[in-house]
Amino acid sequence: MSRLALCLSRAIARVTESALGPYQTAVVRIGFAATWLLFLLREYPHRQELYGPDGPWSFGLAQRLTADNHAFTALLVSDGRVFFEVCYFLAVLSSALLLVGWRTRATSVLFMVGVLSLQNRSVFMGDGGDNVLHLMSVYLVFTRCGQVWSLDARRAARASTARALGEPVRDRVGPALWAVCGLVLGAAALTGRTGGGWLIPALMWATWAGAALWWAVGRWARTPQPRILLDVIADILHNGAIFVIMAEACLIYATAGWYKIQGSRWQDGTAVYYPLHLDYFSPWPALADLLSANGTMVMLVTYGTVMVQVAFPFTLFNRRVKNVLLAAMMTEHAVIAVVLGLPFFSLAMIAADSVFLPTSFLRRLGGWAARGRDRVLRREDRPLPVPRSPEADEQPRVGFGA
Amino acid sequence: MDAYDEEPAGDPAGSPGPPPVVGVDAPAGPRTGVAALSPRYQVGAALALALVAVVVCVHLGMVFLSVAPANTVTRQHGKAIEEWVYPEFEQNWKLFAPNPLQQNIAVQVRADVLMPDGSTTTTGWNDLSVQDGRAIDGSLLPSHTVQNELRRAWDFFVTTHGADNRPIGMRGSLSEQYLRRIVVMRMYEQDATSEKGTIQRVEVRSSTTNVPPPDWSGEKVSDTPVYRVLPWWTVTSDEANGSVR
Repeated sequence: MSRLALCLSRAIARVTESALGPYQTAVVRIGFAATWLLFLLREYPHRQELYGPDGPWSFGLAQRLTADNHAFTALLVSDGRVFFEVCYFLAVLSSALLLVGWRTRATSVLFMVGVLSLQNRSVFMGDGGDNVLHLMSVYLVFTRCGQVWSLDARRAARASTARALGEPVRDRVGPALWAVCGLVLGAAALTGRTGGGWLIPALMWATWAGAALWWAVGRWARTPQPRILLDVIADILHNGAIFVIMAEACLIYATAGWYKIQGSRWQDGTAVYYPLHLDYFSPWPALADLLSANGTMVMLVTYGTVMVQVAFPFTLFNRRVKNVLLAAMMTEHAVIAVVLGLPFFSLAMIAADSVFLPTSFLRRLGGWAARGRDRVLRREDRPLPVPRSPEADEQPRVGFGA
Repeated sequence: MDAYDEEPAGDPAGSPGPPPVVGVDAPAGPRTGVAALSPRYQVGAALALALVAVVVCVHLGMVFLSVAPANTVTRQHGKAIEEWVYPEFEQNWKLFAPNPLQQNIAVQVRADVLMPDGSTTTTGWNDLSVQDGRAIDGSLLPSHTVQNELRRAWDFFVTTHGADNRPIGMRGSLSEQYLRRIVVMRMYEQDATSEKGTIQRVEVRSSTTNVPPPDWSGEKVSDTPVYRVLPWWTVTSDEANGSVR
């Protein structure tokens, strides 16, 4: 009994004292932001046809569907061409900003609004890749995804250096961003154009209010206690969200795998042959023929796919096996990207998979990236960024040196 | 979850770089997490933890049930599950499962076009899916407009219509308009006759052909296409103007 209690208290300490998996969260953030950014840029010439007010899924059709299913989209606020262009631009901008980790809490909300607005505007344009992005953009809002590999981390490091030297640190951008967001949210609420549903508007308001509370507590609280409490709550939310992201990835593979087991084509070992020969999924017919020329090979790949998908969630209990399967799945997705012509679906899946990458590997990857960047920019070698510790957040505002 | 290579607890900044400057005046021992809070604030933290834990468990349970096959629980609580999951957490992961699609479904269209000289011409059948396929061929980054638009519009149409091609519910009529708008847009873009005149009516059909089984399987399937022909649809003036660009 006491062992159980000890276990429980250690677990509680762990999920409340820090935001776990800073590198994993950062790579998930970068992965999804990059996927969406590349997708938006690729579809830029087709943006009107896909999501514009006069596209085949017209403004009126979208209005009738969202009135029925209450999906959130800011794009039905106006059917003006300019409004649409501004929204598309903001979606591009927010994904670029999230990619580099600028004000990640605010940009992750903006990113989510961009993803949901475009996807829910024309829900029949999407595929599995859009679906993954849709879910993850919501979950990312709850994470502290800018602890490493971000402009936020750099800003935090600079601020703490400045404070250590006794220099005052002032943040004007944060409050300004908060005020602008508040104005937009307020205007939307007053005119009744909240975008549909209650969940997403509520989430936006909660984040906005949370930011205000965070700032106010840092500024006016007489003891560090409220500040630490907010920090603990943010960690709890982050850890909950990361757990959901991992569970969601497992659910994707489990569902895909267990349903395949029931299919006769997956049983007789020919399943992989068929998608390769569908007109909509065969950009390289000659390559597809080559890959499916040998029946035994096709069977091995077919069985291997099912086994890996079904087994993956269980391998999480063994680090080494998990890493092997992770590599196998990422490779398979990279192949799918080219062979089935599904680059953005594959990128999204790889981004979701990367939440399971080992920290040591991610650190090494970060080191290579930093060296590569420095070589390009001809900078001096710099140490790797370190995750923002809870102290880094809390210390400054309670007044270092006071 | 064990699969993570976490930093050892209590050393969140354990990196090869220099120690962070921020911790300089941090006293040794536990300063973070609930341990750093006074009992009053610990209650707040405990409440937050409990709330998040409950929401996470309920959410994952709901999402699991929404992707699971129909079962005792979903039969009893289907409504609650739907209300939780739709619209923002909807998901479908039956990727190429239980069986991959083994037919090429092509959407074809022909139109009655009013020509500038006042005569009406009926075009030949245009295979829009073959055009999509050609656009995808050799492409590293196929656009959603060629890979998903028509394909999913047809899926949407089929799932919201009976075998007699009558719409089921509101979505049935939405899918009809959507499909019509797509084919009209495509005809104006790619059909030489339609480009010159004004489309008045369209007729859509699907042609389903089995993917020829692999040589090494020894299976035989019919290679004659099966058609599903929809009734002629009158094109509204809004659609005929080709508002879609």
